[in-house]
Formats: sequence, C-alpha cells, structure tokens
Amino acid sequence: MRATVKNGIGIFSPQGFLDGNNSGAFLSIEDIEATLHLNIDMLLVSLKKVVFFNRNGLDTFVKMFAKMRNKSSTVTVGFCDYDKKKYEAIIKFYEKDINFSLFKTQEIAALFSSSFQNQNKNVLLYSDDKSQRAAMAIELHDYGHNPIIAQSFQEFKEKASNESAYDAIIDSSYLGQMGQKIATRVTGNAIIYTVSSFLDAEIGNSFNIAYHQNSLNVGFRLFIFDAYKVVSMNIHALNFFSRLSSSAAEYNATICFAGLTFEKIPLSFKETMEDAGIMFFDQMDDILQNKELLDELGASSAAAAKNIRTLNKVTVTELPHFIEATVATIEMMTNSEASKERAEIHDIRIENKEGMIASSIGFYGGIDGMVILVFPKEIAKKACELLMGEATDDMEQVLDSLAELVNIVGGKIKSLLYDHNVRVDITLPRTYKDIDALLEVAQERKGVQVDLKFDNDKFLFFLTR
Amino acid sequence: MITREKVDEYIDKIPPANEALRLTLHALAVGDLTKAAKIAKTDLALNGYLKGIVNKPIYGFRNEVNDVAQIFGILGVEASHQAVYNYMIQLLSPAKWHLFKLNRHSFADLQDKLTLGWVKILKHLNIKDQDLYNAITLLPASILVAEALFNERVDDVKLLRSVKNLDYNTILERLCGMNLFAICEAIALKWEMPVQIAHIVHLSSGLSELEASEQELLLGRWMHLLLFYELSQPLFIEAGLNDFIDFHPEFIADVYEEFTSLMEIA
Repeated sequence: MRATVKNGIGIFSPQGFLDGNNSGAFLSIEDIEATLHLNIDMLLVSLKKVVFFNRNGLDTFVKMFAKMRNKSSTVTVGFCDYDKKKYEAIIKFYEKDINFSLFKTQEIAALFSSSFQNQNKNVLLYSDDKSQRAAMAIELHDYGHNPIIAQSFQEFKEKASNESAYDAIIDSSYLGQMGQKIATRVTGNAIIYTVSSFLDAEIGNSFNIAYHQNSLNVGFRLFIFDAYKVVSMNIHALNFFSRLSSSAAEYNATICFAGLTFEKIPLSFKETMEDAGIMFFDQMDDILQNKELLDELGASSAAAAKNIRTLNKVTVTELPHFIEATVATIEMMTNSEASKERAEIHDIRIENKEGMIASSIGFYGGIDGMVILVFPKEIAKKACELLMGEATDDMEQVLDSLAELVNIVGGKIKSLLYDHNVRVDITLPRTYKDIDALLEVAQERKGVQVDLKFDNDKFLFFLTR
Repeated sequence: MITREKVDEYIDKIPPANEALRLTLHALAVGDLTKAAKIAKTDLALNGYLKGIVNKPIYGFRNEVNDVAQIFGILGVEASHQAVYNYMIQLLSPAKWHLFKLNRHSFADLQDKLTLGWVKILKHLNIKDQDLYNAITLLPASILVAEALFNERVDDVKLLRSVKNLDYNTILERLCGMNLFAICEAIALKWEMPVQIAHIVHLSSGLSELEASEQELLLGRWMHLLLFYELSQPLFIEAGLNDFIDFHPEFIADVYEEFTSLMEIA
C-alpha cells in the first residue's frame, strides 16, 4: 500500500480489519522504502475506514513512524480520522509510550502542518491533559492560528455548542514529537521561511534544503527569513546561513532576514552574515511593499532576475515527451481525444486573460525547467471532473484539483523521461487564480508555447526554464 | 481511460452460459441432483473444477472424491448450486493478472472463503432461500471486471491514485457513469441468474440507491462487511484488493457487533 500525498501530507488509508496477522501485509519493505523517500512534512495513517484494530495491528505502522522519524526528525507522524472510542483505545494501548501524534481528523492535522500555516484560523481546543493543551496552543500559534483554550470539559462543551464561532474545534487529539520543520510560504516571487526560538546546528536538519535548491532551480531569486521570533543563534547556525548565502550567490539570489534583533546575538555575527551577502530589514513590509527594492532583489518578476536561463537544446529535444505526458493525462482524465494544434518559441502570450487560471510544476535533475498549463476556468473544471467528482464553483476546490492534475502530468513526465534515460524529480505544483499572478513568474521567460485542445476546448501548454 | 463503449464491449464479449451449464443449473434449481450430475459430467472443464474444489482442505473431506454425482451428493443442493456459479464466474478469470497480484488459485480461494462465510451468515440469520445463498457467487465478479477494464492502464491508474485516493469503482463511475456492481448486474442478466442475486450484490456496494426490501438491505450490509473482512486477509491485501472499492463503515454499523461475534473476532 502506498501513501497518497497532498500538500506535504502523506496518508495511508487501510480499510476493514487491522490486526497482527494482516498489518504487515499493508506495508511491504518497498512501501516503507518509498515512504521514507517522500518529501513530506507529515505522515499519517487514517483509521476512518478501519472497523477493527488491536495493538498488534497498529504496531506495524508505529514501527514505520519510528523509521521515518529516525530518517528525518522534521516529519510529524501519527494516526488520524477516528472517533472517541478508537482514540481511547489507542491511548490505552500505548499509555505513556506515545511518541506519535493523534489528530481526530485530517483537517485538524493540516492545522499543524507548515503547508497550511498563516491561515489565521480561530481554533477551539481541549485536552484533559494540561500540558497537551499548552503544547497544542503553542504549535497552533506558531503556525499562525488563533487558539482558544477550554480549561475544562464543561467549558469546552459550552463553547463548542456555538460551532459557527470557530473555524476548527479540536478534541481527542494528542501531539507526540512534532515535526518542527521550517515553515515555508511563497509570496510572489519571494520565498519566505519562518524560523523561531534558538537557532543552532538543528537548523541543518529542519531546513528543507532540497526544497530550497529546487526553488533556486525553477527561478526564485529572493529568500526571506521571517525571524521575528528568533531569540538567539549560535556559531553553527551562523555558519549554516553563511553557506546558504554563498550557494545562493551562484544563482544570483539574495537572502534576507526580517525582524531579527541582535539583543542576544553578537554583533560580529551580523557583520559575518553581511559579508556573506545577507541583508537585514526591521520589518517584512520594508521588503515586500518596496517595489523598487523587490525589482533590485529580483523578486518582482523573473524578468528582473539577472540570469534568466534560456531554453536549451536538451530541454527542447525532450519536448515531445512533455507534450505526450500532457496529452495522455488529459485523455486519461477526460476520456476524450486531446491534440496539439501549433507550437512556437517565444515568451508566454495569452490573448484573453479574463477567466483564465493556471498551474505550474517544476522539474530538475537530468534536465530542468517548468511546465505551465493555462486553462479557461470552465475547461479546467471539465479537465478535472474525475478528480472533483461533482460540479463546483468553489474556486479553491477547482485550483486544488488543477494542482492535482498538473501533479499527475508531472508524474507522467517523470516516468516518460525515465524511459528515455533522463532522470528528473518534480517540485510541488503551484496554481495561479489569474493570469497576472502567473505573469509575475513567467512574463518574458522564453519558452515553447503549444496550443492544445480536447473536445474542441483549447488550453495552453508552456515549457520554460 | 475507460469509456462506456469499452464497458459495453466488455459485457458483449462475455459468453452466455453454455447449454450444459444452463441445464445443470436448472436441474439444481429443482433439487434434482442426479440429473444435474449427469449433465455436468458432459462438461469436462466443470468436472475438473468441481473435483478441484471439493478436495480442497477448506472443505474438510477426508477422502478424495472424483465422481460428480458423489460431489453433488456431498455438497448438497445449495453448495452444488454455488459451486457451479463460482465456476461460471471463474471462466471470466484472466490467464495473467496485471492490476491485482492474483492468479486462478488465489482468486478461487477468495471465492471459497466468501462462499463459506456467506453460508455461515445466512444460517445465522436463519435464511433458507437458495437464490440468496447463490448471491455471494456474483460478488467476486466485481474484481474480475476491475481487472479486465483497468489492466491496460495500470501505470496511469497508479499515478492517479498516488495523487488522489480514488477507488476503482469511483474512477469508473466518474469516467463512464457505470460502476463495477452495475456491470456485475449486467453479467448476471446475461447468465440468466435470478434478479435477486444481482440486486443484493448491487446493494453490497454500500452506495446503491436501488429500492430494496428490509431483508435485501440487511443482506447487502452483511455482504459488504464480509467482503472487507476477507479483503483484510494478508493474501488479498498483498494482492492490492484492500482498497479496490471504498469500504463504508457507516453502512455496516448496525450489523458489525453481530458479525464480529459470529466470526469470533477478538
């Protein structure tokens, strides 16, 4: 059984009965290996469709959690999607030996994931364990939410009865060892990492260097560390940031810190970091609201970056595979015949921007670049029907499905290129709710633009670097 | 990926039951075991199949049984009827499986386990209707249909399922508006199986909107749970069958306690 991965959360969904006899069958050695190689923030086993389990049945998954944590201490592991009876059973099975987390639902789990941070949710929470209440509140606060703690079950019941007052209500949940991965978000062409408390050698483990490298590869040029909550740092962290800045310089990228105070950090550290090219700002808005500065730092658009990479022969040679992957995916998802209309090399050109949405995915390895798909909204919905299930006008859901679609295209590209001895990895997909948002990234990038259609519905494919 | 035309083509290609099978079933339906055995002997493949199953350890007979009349005599009318239906379903089994890690033997194992479990359930519920006993034989056809329809697109389906947790039934329904159980129903009609058999299998999906009697709905719940009980066995999990359709715990909630007690699940 393989985990389904979405927004950095991997989920196993066993069904039926889970006991010592069969739980090993759910996870082969290959499944565990594949799981360990996933680049995820959280790994969960959903118990939603498990009607029976015993401790032996859960143990196989708990062992996998331990392996995952040994490999990467930044990954949060645990069970989710259970009722009170199942929750109490798990607590009873493991008593004081719980080093994994328990989230009543996947939605609650997502509140503790870096992929969903800064959504500013009002969250009512209750646990009969005082330290758990505090731990959950701190984590939620760290992820940008607004936790409201009920101090007693009575208080919880009263508050929870007014369901509409909260975006989420947490009970029957437990925080084991948390991921403490450095949260990442994207603003325009800048990537913002959030760091907090005391920074030491652990930063090397909690910082997702692969993600950073991929972001450099796909053209991001400005990286900002949101350091308002940093208390201090030691020499190991200093060396880490200096090295990071030096490697970013090779891509003509800039690393900035916002909100870092030097009350408890030696001033000599600041000088060393400045020597390595790191810039310091008091407020995040000093950077993000200063268009001129953003232009200078290469974040307002890719065109402003000094080293736009041109489409090379190697990438163009593989173009048929990219087209094939896109066409095959659309055909698979829509049961209709998709075809190529025309292909031209120039910067991305979209005649009618109204009502268009887009999604992109980067690839790196043997060759690197980015595939962008641009759809009229209604056509995107049609292309994603299989994933969505029912008709919806919810833009978030449409964009979510479009990201899944482009993820499948990326997976197909990866496998087609692999068949031709070109190994690539793919980045997480990104969506754009309008063309202006897309152009911030793709404007004036030269690439191959291909008009594609299925069922007489046209959409646009763009391959660039 | 899979179109309605492809599904229709698949159903069209299913051969109708041959004369010997139809006459054997008719004889069994009226309880004439001697006549049924006499006709069954003329179908060598059916002969071989019956000998194969009755001598399996799961049936627990001490001595090897070779004569069809003897086999029917030992099994009795109900089990003989089920055996012939199981044989018909197995005729659809592919020589080589691609989507699920199964073979003819492991598929037959699943058929046997489901059949024995179902008999246990109906006896527990004190139900004696022969058609209801036979209903379980159609259920594994849903697995054969999924294998037949998806086997050419195994990689695509895996890629799709790595991104979104969709079961085969949902994929099929969204692609061509027909689900695995509706296809099973079409097979049942083609083989002139009693309508009630197809009806209960349809209900066992946990998603059916068919109008049903209380008893049919109850049996649908038991069958859904029995299917997932068997698909939770290591052999079938490893075969990739655990998540081939969606399990609906809320659908079986009313019968769960009784089921665990009957199956002695600790």
